[in-house]
Amino acid sequence: FFCLSLQAKMSRPVHSRRLEGVDKNIWVEFVKLAATYSTVNLGQGFPDFPPPDFLKEALVTALSGENHMLHQYTRAFGHPPLVKILAQFFGKLLGQDLDPMTNVMVTVGAYQALFCCFQAFVDEGDEVIIIEPFFDCYEPMVTMAGGTPVFVPLRPKAPENGKMMSSADWKLDSAELASKFNERTKAIVLNSPNNPLGKVFSRGELELIADLCVKHDVLCISDEVYEWLVYDGKEHIRIASLPGMWDHTVIIGSAGKTFSATGWKVGWTVGPNRLLQHIRTVHQNSVYHCATVAQEAVAQGFQREFMLYGKPDSYFVQLPKELQKKRDWLVQSLDAAGMKPIIPEGTYFLLADISNFKSDVPDNPNSDEPYDSRFAKWMVKNKGLAAIPLSAFYCRAHKNNYSHFIRFCFAKEEATLKAASDILQKWKQEKTSP
Amino acid sequence: MLLASRSFCCLGIRTYQLQTDLLSRSIKLSASATMTFRQKNTRRIEGLDSNVWVEFTKVAADPSIVNLGQGLPDISPPNYVKEELAKASAVDRLNQYTRGFGHPSLVKALSQVYERVCGRKIDPLTDILVTVGAYGSLFSTIQALIEEGDEVIIIEPFYDCYEPMVKMAGAKPVFIPLRYKNDGNSASSADWVLDPAELANKFNSKTKAIILNTPHNPVGKVFTREELQVIADLCIKHDTLCISDEVYEWLVYKGNQHIKIATLPGMWERTITIGSAGKTYSVTGWKLGWSIGPQNLIKHLQVVHQNTLYACPTPLQEALAQAFWIDYKRMDDPDCYFYSLSRELESKRDRMAQLLQDAGLKPVVPDGGYFMIVDVSTLNVDLSDVDAKQPYDYKFVKWMITSKKLSAIPLSAFCGPETKRQFEKYIRFCFIKKDSTLDAAEVILKNWNKQTA
Repeated sequence: FFCLSLQAKMSRPVHSRRLEGVDKNIWVEFVKLAATYSTVNLGQGFPDFPPPDFLKEALVTALSGENHMLHQYTRAFGHPPLVKILAQFFGKLLGQDLDPMTNVMVTVGAYQALFCCFQAFVDEGDEVIIIEPFFDCYEPMVTMAGGTPVFVPLRPKAPENGKMMSSADWKLDSAELASKFNERTKAIVLNSPNNPLGKVFSRGELELIADLCVKHDVLCISDEVYEWLVYDGKEHIRIASLPGMWDHTVIIGSAGKTFSATGWKVGWTVGPNRLLQHIRTVHQNSVYHCATVAQEAVAQGFQREFMLYGKPDSYFVQLPKELQKKRDWLVQSLDAAGMKPIIPEGTYFLLADISNFKSDVPDNPNSDEPYDSRFAKWMVKNKGLAAIPLSAFYCRAHKNNYSHFIRFCFAKEEATLKAASDILQKWKQEKTSP
Repeated sequence: MLLASRSFCCLGIRTYQLQTDLLSRSIKLSASATMTFRQKNTRRIEGLDSNVWVEFTKVAADPSIVNLGQGLPDISPPNYVKEELAKASAVDRLNQYTRGFGHPSLVKALSQVYERVCGRKIDPLTDILVTVGAYGSLFSTIQALIEEGDEVIIIEPFYDCYEPMVKMAGAKPVFIPLRYKNDGNSASSADWVLDPAELANKFNSKTKAIILNTPHNPVGKVFTREELQVIADLCIKHDTLCISDEVYEWLVYKGNQHIKIATLPGMWERTITIGSAGKTYSVTGWKLGWSIGPQNLIKHLQVVHQNTLYACPTPLQEALAQAFWIDYKRMDDPDCYFYSLSRELESKRDRMAQLLQDAGLKPVVPDGGYFMIVDVSTLNVDLSDVDAKQPYDYKFVKWMITSKKLSAIPLSAFCGPETKRQFEKYIRFCFIKKDSTLDAAEVILKNWNKQTA
């Protein structure tokens, strides 16, 4: 009897079932490829320019001060100066009176905020609607929580007059979206501005989603990490400010994207206490505290921005202005080289159609790897230019729906973008010369 | 809020604590009722909302209170550690994402330090995961390897997060208490031991893992080689994993040696060993920890990590790596911080023990760690008129905070339901405190009997 039970235990896998199907991760592979081969890395989404001086100074001040207690634990749900300024700042934007202790919680990046949301609200049997293309972690996080992801695509409609396609040309079909909601639907994940497409959802589109959330009593997990990166005078509208939505929404933000400091891993959730209390429970049983000194510096950063809000000196005004120039520069380079860009309304990503370059990477019917992934790998190894295949942002069943797009990150120094342009021009010349 | 009763989610009858704006008032009342029900929390966190720290850190935050409660140093980290962080944050690329499973220079440094300690090769990329504190390592390990149907043995008293983490993973905690050998007159943490027969009885075919904490929080016990061998034998016999929380590994006092259970025969392949920058370098606010073990186990922790927070902060990891190189190079030198901190704490330990003894108490002198527990029942503080439902030590600590301006942590926070009665006369003091804090504690303890409750 004893040997049998031991054998039974040894024949079971050692890992828990919740890890089934969530072990693959595109970044592990592509980050390694970029590190090995790339000379110009427009792949993973991080700036290659530094955070603003005022933020770096805030960290130096925090470190050089008399108070060495900044090296010790702070309040678990968020360093008081940070949650206070976040409550003030977002309270103003949302037109709500926010309590820093109950309506805000700090996390280790927006990534951990997403994790807490899924763990707090998604149980086995729950469905979560995910709009494609999506930041890839949503799907495995829903799966790990025992939920079922339900996908609904943004569908592109070619613009008239041969204009360049914009992220605004990709839209949800309202009947299709409505059909995805049922009694098992627990949540919908909204990402606006959207990574990888760059779409900034319009008020009408948000109202469509909001109506369905209120009608079906569904939670909206609103990933707004690129909230400040909107171009062409577009407005980032917060779905939580729509009628009925404050009570149905958890807003997620990121200091990494806000202040060009992705390595600091400071994020936050904002929402009603009724929802945040459960997010706090997950947090206190998983990570508990976030690093103190980074929170102190981010708090200082927000204080400055609160004072300068709307003014020309505000980083939240300057950064999108800078990035819009870079966007336009990259769009032009890609267009000139024959890769067809989709102009993003927001974020620091854009998609480009590589159809004109397909001859370099022949189709392989024997491979079940999506074409764009094979293309992107070939490109980084042979051209030194790193980008991410669009299929990374689709569920397995839909990975081949759009087989010829890759995503570029343009939060890069001029020199980097110029180097990318040089690679593309040379590549184009190689193709056209006899 | 969190201090309120454990049950939440009342259907329909609810008081919203926030002002709702004009627009939200348009929601019909019936919708409010279904809203509350629909956005109920998941089963996995049911009953896990309360937490001793949330309760007690708030109460002790008052600066007039001498805080010997929560385990955080009020001494400064070494200067070179602080300098390395300033240096790291000045490097532009170190303000952006690093490798998810651990910053390359940090995992390299960790592999060197622990190769030396363990006497075996440790691959920095496959055998190590960097996490958000040891807390994050515990979470990643439990989520990766523990699930419904599993039992996990937890030794009482235990660092309080073990129980909710095991429950959140859907598994059943099985408790076994440390018992004192000598009848009630324990003077040393070494007097608290596991009964081998009792321990053996806790193992069965469902036992997936045992959580070991050495040096132990809160008792301060440093498990001996023989004691570890008893645990190891059972792990091997029952094919059980060992989750070894060794955050206080450098804080062992004279006459004691920290032994890593993973170095015992047959144990490397079934052990995850957890460490902490916060405890190693007195920087609890850096929240960096690590899990070290065989690739076939660590790879599952890495999967959890890539689906929870992906990467830990870069500048902190780089600074930690540099600090480790500095101390790695002097691991043969008594000035190495790993040893000098331990010496510094040993004298604080001795002072703390003396203060408590002078106050007429019998502290359990720890062989390691920076906590000391003490039986306060001999003070005969009558708290019977206070809320009867709370254990005695909770009531005592709250009373001590208000009337004596001294804080500690009640030991029953570290016990399973069956043993709370056994441990409710103990409270835990943290002594990694600067001299002025201990001076202030001394004044309070000397004057204890002069004030009436």
